[in-house]
Amino acid sequence: MSISASTDAAVAAANIESRRRWQISYRRRRYLLVAPPMLVMIAFVVFGIFADVIAPGDPGQTHLLSRLEAPVFSGGTSEFPLGTDHVGRDIWTRVVHGARVSLIVVAIVVPGAALFGTVIGMFAGWRGGIVGQLLMRYVDVQLALPAILFAVLLGAVLGASLRNVILILLVWTWTVYARLIRAEVLSLKEREFVLASLAAGGSNWWIMRKQLLPNVFNTIVVIMTLEIPIVIVAEASLSFLGVGAPVEQATWGRMITEARNYLTHAWWVMWMPGLALMLVALSGNLVGDWLRDLLDPRLRNLG
Amino acid sequence: MQFANLLVIRLIQTILVIWVVVSIVFVISRLIGNPETSLMPWDATNEDYERIREKLGLNDPMIVQYGRFLGDALQGDLGFSYHRTGPALDIVADKVLGTVKLTAAGLVVALGLGVPLGVFAALRRGSPLDWLARLVAVFGQATPSFWLGLMLIFFLATRVSWFPTAGAEGFRSLVLPAIALGLLSAAGFMRLTRSGMIDVMNTDFIRTARAKGLNERTVILRHGLRHALIPVMTILGIELGRLIAGSVIIEVVFSWPGIGRLMIESILQSDYPTVQAGLVVIAASITLGNLIVDMTYRVIDPRIRMAAL
Repeated sequence: MSISASTDAAVAAANIESRRRWQISYRRRRYLLVAPPMLVMIAFVVFGIFADVIAPGDPGQTHLLSRLEAPVFSGGTSEFPLGTDHVGRDIWTRVVHGARVSLIVVAIVVPGAALFGTVIGMFAGWRGGIVGQLLMRYVDVQLALPAILFAVLLGAVLGASLRNVILILLVWTWTVYARLIRAEVLSLKEREFVLASLAAGGSNWWIMRKQLLPNVFNTIVVIMTLEIPIVIVAEASLSFLGVGAPVEQATWGRMITEARNYLTHAWWVMWMPGLALMLVALSGNLVGDWLRDLLDPRLRNLG
Repeated sequence: MQFANLLVIRLIQTILVIWVVVSIVFVISRLIGNPETSLMPWDATNEDYERIREKLGLNDPMIVQYGRFLGDALQGDLGFSYHRTGPALDIVADKVLGTVKLTAAGLVVALGLGVPLGVFAALRRGSPLDWLARLVAVFGQATPSFWLGLMLIFFLATRVSWFPTAGAEGFRSLVLPAIALGLLSAAGFMRLTRSGMIDVMNTDFIRTARAKGLNERTVILRHGLRHALIPVMTILGIELGRLIAGSVIIEVVFSWPGIGRLMIESILQSDYPTVQAGLVVIAASITLGNLIVDMTYRVIDPRIRMAAL
């Protein structure tokens, strides 16, 4: 009896021990796995900031005698490491300068939208009232009007500019935060711990700060990471449709759209900006995933 | 509050939403844009411009134009297209089916792939299946739909001719656009389902459900998934909007005949009546979708009281 009990205890202890060890190795594995995408994101930021140093040439410079030249690893010359496009522009230079445009857009749009959306969402969920109602109807309106159509309409009417693109994306992406945060707060405010705080005389501000915000923080981070690739892709999509940044600016979206006619006989013209776009968006996702696991409090308790 | 009352209120709100959308489009297109310049040949004289402005009623004060526009809109008259023949609404209506087909196919891809993958990934966390699902999800999330479309065309329509590169003839021409459209949303559903399932499977009520001897299948489907689907339901309305919005770019990539491609063309031609009609139709379908989603997650999560609109 006592022997079997102690064996059970020993087995349980061993289980816990092996589980803990497995979890530590899982964490360590995550660090290793997140390193490459982290490096890509750092490279993206560095390329964006130091575009002029890394690729000093003019991204708009044409070389009419060297049109559609293959990249260096596919039989081309080192003069154009990633080849040239249909008017002989250096694809390497254009891809690097395209990173700058994407970086500027993300750096302004994602934090700005998160801040604004969270404030509105928490207010609408907690206080509601007529103002909260109106705000949420406004969110509905924004969601009802596809951003891309609105952006194309505005772009066609106003003319293409980077400032307009940033403004449109900022105004349009905050609604996602507002809607999800509000939904979470609506559910949270019916929970016992919030009711208890209210009963104990907790002020609105205190409850929002100490109980609601920590509970929705995870959601904010997850949405922000989801939004980084979405914003990059949205900017590229607008450029692809021809209403993003102005023509003289090298953007990945515009490069892809211009390359469409050369799909069959000069694959690199489309693939270079496309791969850059995909790599950065992919890495943003992986880094965000890792960050989510790191910040999730319940997951932290497990580890 | 009664469910029916709530529904009526939300329907009225939906109409208000559409009114605001129409007004926003009116402001952008009429206040900032000049529809007449796109209508006239390059050698048109000032008198010609004056005539066309008079004919289209563009010389009246804005408020009069707006009043006339709203009055007509109430009667289902959204004006005649500047560039095509016939009422703008009819022109848009011709294209509705194309967009509905594409969006529905995209939604089938998104939910059919996203939710099951998310559940499996959460239950077998850290397993090869989890990694595979997350790989698919991460790629889906990371790949812009137009880029995905172009890659699909590159590999499956030009390298091997399994599917047509463009157009809308038969089921085969729907496959590539539906995947290109739906994969992004599938990835979103998968992530939300997975993180929701992981969160919910750690909660006390799941422990209780297991403790009272329910079989694992019931625990997962009735207790776990039902709860994990709340964030999915919340985002479903947004995703539906995204799918409809995303269909615009997919229609351009695949030359698919739908509202999106019509509107992009109309916007670039400053054909504002067609743009307005298109936006009204799209806005109406998305807000109705949101309404249905909102009502559904009230049924799923009773903690959201009926009174809390």
